[in-house]
Amino acid sequence: MSRAVRPALVGAGVLALASLTFWAPTFWVSIGIQALIFAIFAMSLDLLLGYGGMPSFGHAAFYGAGALGCAWIWLRHPGIGFLPLAAACIGIAALLAVPIGALSLRVRGVYFLMLTLAFGQMLWGYAYQAPREVLGGSDGLIGVGRPPLDLVQNLDQGLWLLAGLSPRGVAVRDFYNLTLVVAVVVLVILLLLVRSPFGRTLEGIRENEHRMRAFGVPTFRYRLAAFVVAGALAGLAGALATLFNGFANSGSLYWTNSGLVLIAAVVGGTRSLIGPALGAFLVLIVQDALSSFSQRWPLLLGAIFIGFVLFLPGGLAGLGRLSRTLTVRP
Amino acid sequence: MQTQALTVRFGAVAALSEVSLDVAAGERRAVIGPNGAGKTTLFNAITGDLRAGSGGIRLDGHDVTRLASWRRARRGLARTFQRSTLFPELSVAENLGLAVRARLGGGWCFLPGGGGRLALEVAERLQQAGLAAQAGRPARTLGHGEQRSLEIELAMAAHPRALLLDEPMAGLSGAERRLALERLRALPRDMTLIIVEHDLDAVFAIADRITVLDHGVVIADGSPPAVRADRLVQEVYLGRPA
Amino acid sequence: MDVLNLAHGSFYMLGAYTGVVVLGLTHSFWLALAAAPLLLALLGGALEVVFFRRLYRSGHLLQVLLTFGFSLVFVDLVRWRFGPQNQAFAVPRELAGTIPLPGFGFAGYRLFVIVVAALVATALLLAWRRLRVGAILRAGVADTEMVGLLGIDLARVFTLTFAFGAGLAGLAGVVAGPYLATYPGMDENVLILALVVVVVGGLGSIEGALVGALLIGLANSFGAFFRQDLAVVLVFGLMALVLVLRPRGLFGVRA
Repeated sequence: MSRAVRPALVGAGVLALASLTFWAPTFWVSIGIQALIFAIFAMSLDLLLGYGGMPSFGHAAFYGAGALGCAWIWLRHPGIGFLPLAAACIGIAALLAVPIGALSLRVRGVYFLMLTLAFGQMLWGYAYQAPREVLGGSDGLIGVGRPPLDLVQNLDQGLWLLAGLSPRGVAVRDFYNLTLVVAVVVLVILLLLVRSPFGRTLEGIRENEHRMRAFGVPTFRYRLAAFVVAGALAGLAGALATLFNGFANSGSLYWTNSGLVLIAAVVGGTRSLIGPALGAFLVLIVQDALSSFSQRWPLLLGAIFIGFVLFLPGGLAGLGRLSRTLTVRP
Repeated sequence: MQTQALTVRFGAVAALSEVSLDVAAGERRAVIGPNGAGKTTLFNAITGDLRAGSGGIRLDGHDVTRLASWRRARRGLARTFQRSTLFPELSVAENLGLAVRARLGGGWCFLPGGGGRLALEVAERLQQAGLAAQAGRPARTLGHGEQRSLEIELAMAAHPRALLLDEPMAGLSGAERRLALERLRALPRDMTLIIVEHDLDAVFAIADRITVLDHGVVIADGSPPAVRADRLVQEVYLGRPA
Repeated sequence: MDVLNLAHGSFYMLGAYTGVVVLGLTHSFWLALAAAPLLLALLGGALEVVFFRRLYRSGHLLQVLLTFGFSLVFVDLVRWRFGPQNQAFAVPRELAGTIPLPGFGFAGYRLFVIVVAALVATALLLAWRRLRVGAILRAGVADTEMVGLLGIDLARVFTLTFAFGAGLAGLAGVVAGPYLATYPGMDENVLILALVVVVVGGLGSIEGALVGALLIGLANSFGAFFRQDLAVVLVFGLMALVLVLRPRGLFGVRA
């Protein structure tokens, strides 16, 4: 695959996704929303894992913080606009990421894995048993509505009219468009970030931290910055999830959620951004779409995952790299 | 650069014991000694990779004993490692790019771009190091001599005030050795050089002064002829009976 | 062995379910007690040979993910075969009595659990420190090549060790069955706690695991006693504290 093909494919993919609102039944649009949210979550993890070389088993903590924060804010300020709400949730997740990152990043490898797991579970434990007035107990916070999406709705109606169809104005489709836009924005932000001097420095730290320190680079600060950015974006994903579901509970912080997003990132192929997004789609489709056909979806997911880890550790994106190496002369 | 009574312990073993060095600006100092004498430990203590149990380190008159390794690097301390410490999967050009960028600053820029100046300097350095032909290849594909060349160039990219070279001649062929020696000789005189080496021919060719370590203790420190004639040195290092 | 195995909880769960099945077939708790570790050891060994050993060099993350995948598979298989409800697992008559102690009665089965735990701990400690196999393992992880050069078939040792570990997990499961609940999600709770214990105690140390288990067990029980769900915060807080202060764990050997 030449270098020009990949962006073209991605662009085509985005367009295809954008067209979904026009022809797909509501069930699939809903799946699409959840897949996009999970893709944002997975891409944020890729910054940390693929580009930063920091495998975190507690990334769901920031997702959950964004989710619960979103519900908490909405219930106190119903009708709040999407942008201020999103900004607040990003802020909450980022603020949480600073102390957790500052402590966790002092260790590496498997210890980092375990420490992030520990912090994630601590937060889950707190959220689970927090008093009802604060975080809604085990049911969580319910009754979250959608922020006014006038801009999106107007755009959407415009598009429908352009296409010569009558607008179907179902809230779900508007929300889908919103989520798609957010996902693309996040992708672009991350793409720019990893190609920036910051991103290159981060990669250098991943490849040989000792060397970077010998160059005079304060490596801890860079890793922490990446950790916070990743956490902030995960919080954004969580906020979107709350707005879609209408509720948020402590379950989103549980370690299996961290495990699931790791699966998505690895299956998709780390260090590619697109890979984890694809992996997220795959995981979500298996989870949601299949669960309505069969109760055995965890079995399938586990089996798929095992297959990938054993035979395709580069993930789906790895396939692309593989074909590139096969066609280029050594 | 000076160290004062530097001591480093690993458990009960004193890898360095009360090592004091005084290296003048621009001096070419060689540190020699048998294997296990503590030479690399000395380097690690100076750069901050190892915490000294006691003693002090001064750079340009400033006390850097408490500073983190990256801060000392910022103050103009650079080093090469005994085993080439490169970025194996990145291209040679990218390796140098990281070094140059670290010096130029700007690592906190979140948007891509502004690489023109960087690219120019990287191209220059590639030429200097004789690696222009390998610019796009992953560093791990380089031959040993080329890797050592890159290693030195990475350290040089920081425009250091003091450069610590850990066995720069190790593993080099005869021709490569001559080239390396020339390069070392050509280094600017305002840069202080401290070299750990086993290749005594190179040492005696370059060094202004030689410090001899054995079992973590300085046993000789002086001009090359003086050290060569020192009987303790001969006994310990060169194996001649007293 | 320097392997991170998230499927270990599954072995525990499968041990408990094996106990249920064998008990149902033979009506003998003691047969179930013997069968579970054996079967799980076989399963563990097979899994190691076929799947897990490919990842020894691939790093911990891939091991975590692979075994996580397996745990998903096992849990769902169990749920499929037995359903999501708790399984009845009766305490055997011989152990069901209460031992009168000053002030309160001590359940006989609890004493049984303590005895089994003590026996296992002692055996492990002895093997780890005194027997050849312990030394081989410790050496094998420190320097695989060297051990190989000494003519020891490390692959076989690893397989046997993994099988042994799985068998122990199975034993834990069948012992826990009558005491704690037996249901498809039981692997999660114990796995998380086991990971915390190992990390707190220190990787590569059986003594550490023992001390860690006691510490975490106490923290868990006391936490739950004072305020439900405070236990979680306490347990993980302890783990975070240890990791931040002593990344190798209390008795950790590995870097």
